[in-house]
Amino acid sequence: MNVIRGFATTLKHLFMEPVTYQYPEEERPFRDRYKGRHVLKRYDNGLEKCIGCALCAAACPADAIWVEAAENTDEERYSPGERYAKTYEINMLRCIFCGYCADACPTEAIVLEHEHRLSFTNRRDAIYTKTELLEPPPEGMPGTPRQVEPGTFDRAIPEMEDPK
Amino acid sequence: MTETVTLHIDGVSYEVPAGMNLVDAARVYAGVEIPVFCYHPKLEPVGMCRMCLVDIGFEMRDRESGELLLNEDGTPQIRWGRKLETACTTTVRAGMHVRTMTEPVQEARKDVLEFLLSSHPLDCPICDKGGECPLQSLTMRHGPATSRMVLEDKMHLAKHVPLGDLIYLDRERCIQCARCIRFQDEIVGDDVLAFHERGRRLQIVTISDPPFDTYFSGNTTDICPVGALTTADFRFGARPWELQDVPSICPHCPVGCNIVASTRLDRDAGGVKVIKRILPRQNEAVNEIWICDKGRFGHHHSLSPDRLAAPLIRKNGELVEASWDEAIQAAAEGLQAAGKNVGVIAGPMLSNEDLWGLRELAEGLGSKRLGLWPASLGDAKPLDEVGVASGTNFAALGKGDAVLVIATDLEEEAPIWYLRVKQAADRGAALIVANTRTTKLDHYAAQTLRFAVGGAADVLNGLTAAAIGQKWIAEDLIESRVSGFGDLQKALKNVSGGDEDAAEVLARAENLVIVAGNDGLDAEGHTALLQAAANFLIVTGHVGRAHNGLLPVWPGANTQGALDLGYESADTRRMLSRTPRALLVAGADIAADPAGAKALQKADFVVCMTLFPDATAEAADVVLPIQSTTERDGTFTNAERRVQRFYTAHGPLGESLSAWEAAALLGQHFGLPAPRYNPALVMKAIAAAVKPYADISFPALTAAEVQMPPIGEAKGFYGGTARPPIGGTGIQLPARSEGRGKLHVKPVDAPGAFEVGEDELLVVPVRRLYDRTPEFASSKLMHDRIPQPFVALNEADAARLGVASGDTVEVSADGAAVTVTAVVDDYAPQGVAFLPLRLSADPFPMIPVTGTVTRVAEALPVGD
Ligand code: SF4
Ligand code: SF4
Ligand code: SF4
Ligand code: SF4
Ligand code: FES
Repeated sequence: MNVIRGFATTLKHLFMEPVTYQYPEEERPFRDRYKGRHVLKRYDNGLEKCIGCALCAAACPADAIWVEAAENTDEERYSPGERYAKTYEINMLRCIFCGYCADACPTEAIVLEHEHRLSFTNRRDAIYTKTELLEPPPEGMPGTPRQVEPGTFDRAIPEMEDPK
Repeated sequence: MTETVTLHIDGVSYEVPAGMNLVDAARVYAGVEIPVFCYHPKLEPVGMCRMCLVDIGFEMRDRESGELLLNEDGTPQIRWGRKLETACTTTVRAGMHVRTMTEPVQEARKDVLEFLLSSHPLDCPICDKGGECPLQSLTMRHGPATSRMVLEDKMHLAKHVPLGDLIYLDRERCIQCARCIRFQDEIVGDDVLAFHERGRRLQIVTISDPPFDTYFSGNTTDICPVGALTTADFRFGARPWELQDVPSICPHCPVGCNIVASTRLDRDAGGVKVIKRILPRQNEAVNEIWICDKGRFGHHHSLSPDRLAAPLIRKNGELVEASWDEAIQAAAEGLQAAGKNVGVIAGPMLSNEDLWGLRELAEGLGSKRLGLWPASLGDAKPLDEVGVASGTNFAALGKGDAVLVIATDLEEEAPIWYLRVKQAADRGAALIVANTRTTKLDHYAAQTLRFAVGGAADVLNGLTAAAIGQKWIAEDLIESRVSGFGDLQKALKNVSGGDEDAAEVLARAENLVIVAGNDGLDAEGHTALLQAAANFLIVTGHVGRAHNGLLPVWPGANTQGALDLGYESADTRRMLSRTPRALLVAGADIAADPAGAKALQKADFVVCMTLFPDATAEAADVVLPIQSTTERDGTFTNAERRVQRFYTAHGPLGESLSAWEAAALLGQHFGLPAPRYNPALVMKAIAAAVKPYADISFPALTAAEVQMPPIGEAKGFYGGTARPPIGGTGIQLPARSEGRGKLHVKPVDAPGAFEVGEDELLVVPVRRLYDRTPEFASSKLMHDRIPQPFVALNEADAARLGVASGDTVEVSADGAAVTVTAVVDDYAPQGVAFLPLRLSADPFPMIPVTGTVTRVAEALPVGD
């Protein structure tokens, strides 16, 4: 009897829709909250959001982030305000994809997006530098560094909302 | 013992010294942190920020009987103040009760913070102070969680205002506590900062030209309770929590300020550790919590790309790079050839261990010639006896005490002493300044004495004669311990003209420190000055106890150590006139003096140990790269004979080695033992051989004296970013006068003023704090602050020579010539031209010489 019940189960599953994805031909849609590789974001005007504050590095439980800051000038501007990240590196072998860095960031510059295909053949390559992490400027916008009118971008922290 | 009173804080009673500031008393005795912004334990309280509001009450007494009024339960009745009061402007009194945690107090703190933040930009993420900012900490501890502020109403002010080349001001961040202004006014006395406008527009401005013109500007960034003032050097260099603080000692002057080097790895430097900033380390006996801008910003020599990274040897007349083995081999062969006819000349930036290593090498070679650079210093023997006694602290001098500053421009030669002497004068100590010209310290002097260049010892002889004549002398001491008094008395019999007012003030002072430099003196004059000063101190009884004695203003950080370890300037002079066949020059750019340059030529073989490939290295046959202070462990002995330890902050530059190690490697070729494993062992050897250093060892030097007030220490004192005394506060070697042995006075054969003919000029070299030696000029940031080479001429002389201010002139003497700009005013006495040393690379004699000044080009018209 039990044998028949067993075969019946098998038979039933034979006609059910399969849940297996044929990765990599087929990809499953990502949830918004999925934490993949980091991206350094830009504002709509193409300036970098990151101000090199290293709070992400301070928050990181895996000590995976290395930030060095430098000063913007109007001739060579990377981000609004006075400070930008001259060096920004994440060691993906150390990263545990917890997302604390994104939580800590005051300008929402570092975001864990959906890229998850990370492979390296040596330890050095596992360190993603700023060039690799920084997203390209939006369509039609110049990149960074760029020359700007003096006095246009003198605030680093985006305007905050009034307390309700 | 000071009188104490009972103070009650939050219901607990404490015994505290009467008259103490309430904030300090609460912090130190009760461990209660009363939050402050404008109050700083080193500054006069002003009560500007209202952060320190507390509830203060007094025990009530019956008016007639004076009895305490008691409650039913036996506790005293207390009359609380109707309103909260500022703790920082309150001194403790008997029967005082303080409540620091009541609801109104906490409300008041919240309100003050809400107000402060209403105009604050809150850009902590990009602020250099973020992470060690009192405003951040106090907001976290006492502030409101939310603000009722409408953000659009925020005041926007300039965020990037350079105050001079070194300091940036962010006007939005300033909370208008005036600590920076008060520091410059009260502590330094430079009128450089001020408030401008009123209310929310109130701003800090600099009112000097050039802007923020002071040697102490960096200290304002330490005590600023927010990130309004930051240094151009550190700007965005790191976040404070990423830095590692390594205790160190400033290598630039004889004060020996305690500092920390904050280090961090750096990509641009190739992923190695570099110094990101220098901060003061609290040592109340040496530098309190201050350092000068030379110490703060002059650290870039340690990893300068201009430094010598590998040994060089001369091949076919050219210096070429070589390995250490080759270089040591070549050096050993050269020294071997010279036999025992070898001499060592060492500079004052070498550590005690370096100096000992070189001495062992010299002795191993059979040479006794240990020369100290510069060659112009006098005989320092009197200092062993009458050097300031252990425990001496300028901070203890006040009413009834006296300080004589002679033959030195303290602000230029030992800035922190300038600041501390000035404060002693502010507290009421009688300050007498004696020099050939006006110096900034004159402003605070009770009396100034002038003497002709070279005549410093005569001034002191005169003072001693006056003191003996008027019997302002310590007769008991003279009777029991002083030898040679009779001779001295006889020799001074015919000396007159001593300033009696000054002599009286100095001789009858409770405590007296004589600060003596060698400004405008040659070795003979300096020797005479030191002995004359010793005579005065001994006969007036100002020796052998704390806060008394002679303090020499040496030209370098470790001149004292070199003297203690057997090096002498007189030996250098002998070597310059009768040059040995081989010279070993370490840490001394002797080519900067024509006599030194000549000796380098005369010697058959020269080994040079140096940080930079300077002119001396160029003249050498073998050049060995040595290490600066921050690359290794070691000790310096400051001019107060305080042995202080510095620690390895970062890795060595290139292949450089410590000078003691290089010396030992060389020594191996002459049968000396292999290099010791570490500098601690070298110090052990010093302790075993040099009597005053018997108790010194690296572990002993890590001990730190308790610092009061605990500014660097305490979280919650909000004194700023000065660091606690990690790594030890050093050990002061006692002077011989502290024992019971004889004290020696002896007649001084003062050489008198230099003679100059009618039409001649005496060219007098003077030291400037900012010069173009590579040890300092490798800090690029400071370039604009280093004066262009100049010579100061008297109006009469200038008229005679046909020179106007701004003209380019050639100053020549003794076959050396420098081209500089003339500055004509009444600063220089007639017949004298003051020429600052090391502002240009050209060699020039380091002692006063007669010379000529000729015009080579007219001044450019103004506006060109
Ligand atoms: S995701 Fe987590 S582990 Fe990875 S870099 Fe960010 S904070 Fe560090
Ligand atoms: S990513 Fe964000 S937290 Fe990290 S340095 Fe940049 S601004 Fe700061
Ligand atoms: S700049 Fe700093 S120290 Fe000066 S008043 Fe403003 S907050 Fe105070
Ligand atoms: S006073 Fe002298 S020891 Fe102190 S920081 Fe300045 S140069 Fe260095
Ligand atoms: S008012 Fe007392 S600390 Fe400012």
